[in-house]
Amino acid sequence: MPSPHARPRRVGLLCVLAGASVALTACAGAAVAPPAVVDPATSWSLVTSAAQGQTVNLWMYGGDDLGNAYVDKILAPAAAAQGVTIHRVPITDTADALNRVVSETTAGRAQDGSVDLVWVNGENFRTGAQASLWKCGWATSLPNARYLDTRDPLLLNDFGTPVNGCEAPWHKAQFVIAYDSAKVSSPPTSIPELLTWAQNHPGRFTYPQPPDFTGSAFVRQALYGVSGGVGSVPSTYDASTARPLEDALWSKLAGVAPSLWRGGQTYPRDLTALDKLYSDGQVWFTMTYGPATIDARVKDGAFPATTRVLSLRDGSLGNASFLAIPANAAHSAAAQVVANLALSPEQQAAKADPTTWGQYTVLDVSKVPEPLRGPLEAHAATSVVPPFSTLSAGSNPELSATWVTPLEQGWRTSVLGG
Amino acid sequence: MATAVSTPRRASRPSGRTSLLALPALVPVLGVLVLGLGSAVLQSVGLMPLVGQPSFTTSAYSALASPAVSDGMRISLAIAATSTAVAVVLGLAAALLVHRIAPRRGFLALLAAATVPVPHLVGAIATGLLLSDSGLVSRLVGADPTTFPQLIAGPWWVGVVAEYAWKESAFVALVVLVSLSRHERELSEAAAVLGASAWERFRRVTLPLASPALVVSATLSAAYVVGSYEVSWLLGRSYPEPLPVLAYRLFTDVDLGTRPEAMAVAVLTVGVAGAIALVGTLVLRRTAAAR
Repeated sequence: MPSPHARPRRVGLLCVLAGASVALTACAGAAVAPPAVVDPATSWSLVTSAAQGQTVNLWMYGGDDLGNAYVDKILAPAAAAQGVTIHRVPITDTADALNRVVSETTAGRAQDGSVDLVWVNGENFRTGAQASLWKCGWATSLPNARYLDTRDPLLLNDFGTPVNGCEAPWHKAQFVIAYDSAKVSSPPTSIPELLTWAQNHPGRFTYPQPPDFTGSAFVRQALYGVSGGVGSVPSTYDASTARPLEDALWSKLAGVAPSLWRGGQTYPRDLTALDKLYSDGQVWFTMTYGPATIDARVKDGAFPATTRVLSLRDGSLGNASFLAIPANAAHSAAAQVVANLALSPEQQAAKADPTTWGQYTVLDVSKVPEPLRGPLEAHAATSVVPPFSTLSAGSNPELSATWVTPLEQGWRTSVLGG
Repeated sequence: MATAVSTPRRASRPSGRTSLLALPALVPVLGVLVLGLGSAVLQSVGLMPLVGQPSFTTSAYSALASPAVSDGMRISLAIAATSTAVAVVLGLAAALLVHRIAPRRGFLALLAAATVPVPHLVGAIATGLLLSDSGLVSRLVGADPTTFPQLIAGPWWVGVVAEYAWKESAFVALVVLVSLSRHERELSEAAAVLGASAWERFRRVTLPLASPALVVSATLSAAYVVGSYEVSWLLGRSYPEPLPVLAYRLFTDVDLGTRPEAMAVAVLTVGVAGAIALVGTLVLRRTAAAR
């Protein structure tokens, strides 16, 4: 595993940084406390000038080749044009970045942390917020934040945790289940139907074991499906009301387990393992929170060309993911410049192209001026994956992060152990 | 484990000067042990919390009395014992073969030890590609993946044991080969002249000469396997989780509250590895005394 060890390059830079961080705390305070301490335009120009020559250590999940290529070949050159270098730090799990911040903070590195920017959402954001690990108040004052819909529920709450300007939106995502249409003749149209299909076709369906990100998402989707829809599940976890819902979910999943791959005795350890089973034709379904990867896999021949996205009657989970700056980041000014750049219509449009990365835009397209709007609206659908508007129809809001731990633990004791 | 490595040199006791020479090696080892293990212990008893005030508690250790931990302990020990046993047999056989056929040909000895520098991660991925139910072997014999024996992620942990045994056997062979000096050949020849059969020569001459090296390498190998993560994670199954896999899952849990328990499992793992090292040292003493 990569273990970057980023230290400030020069001592001189360190002094600039110390100055910059003082300036930034002032700005952050200004965003929350009474306004008019610093004019926004002036404060942003302070940020950009402090950012000059800094290197941003961007910690992000490294298992997605398209994402890596986008950051290295499109985002990084654009940042370089603004005087900021991006150093992408690939990690296997976002929790690794969080762990690094925690360790450094505990070790007393309050100013020169090696994590400057993290691609984050959900549980990890909540955990960081719980431990006050994030710098807050900056995201709403980014110049490009003007293209965002300020009432978009996906951007106000991150899995139920209020965002409060502690992270800047980056992508929207939609959970999808894919199947091989050559083998599945009558595809199910809801989660209960899918589980019945699995019972009738032993060994042809499975899902990654939670706490894998995708496996966890499947369990949450199954919770909606088994409970009778979004309206039946309270968004915040409460042990007493959740109990009957959980019991029903676990008995359903434990009931279907003997018909899963390997008789439900073991599960693919992560999405990579499930994708491998799917491309080997052992199971006929796979799933992902990043639909564009399905296109890419079909194109490179790993997935059969007959792969299609399952259309779910009751919609599927949708979420947004963000860029967050740890409170102890060494280069927080440059990190803000990168987060702002990542929000620009040009970058959002480039990133939404399925051949580039296929991450859906977080911007409110109606707020984007005309010449820049075209590319954002042109989300070319392919024969495999329908356009985002279709995918996100009837999108299910993500459950609060408070659900994640009880669901993962419950699955482990009631489905895996049981 | 450092004690297990310093094999019996009964004649010479380390002088002050040699201890001084060992200092550069000792300082980092002690540093890692004291700082790393120390903070793990502190975190496990709640004296170094990530959030909130430090307060002493043994709740993380009481939480170890769960089926997940006892099953994990059992599978960890079973994997370590099985893979070490296989590695000892294979390693000894390989060492003897090289020693008999080509004592002077360095490249054969080199070949026997060729797998030593291969990282376990690479070994695990290769084992997976080879033995999984849609892997190379399965395809070569034209098997149906659904009926192919479940070697990877199967109920008997075959892939995990195979990988460790393959890697560790090379280590055992290397250590044993060094211990079988030309001395063994002369003694063996003398025994043969006196009418000892091949089995008797193996039993009375070769094995006693090789046994300290065998005990040392087996101890190191078993202690390593107990504490090793990646092979079990890649080739094992969802439940039970070997101790390091369990500890790492708890460590990376989104709920920071599981951190003390993760540290307790890690401390337990160190304890198990330490116990193995202790048993190995005791056995080594007896082996050395018997000579």
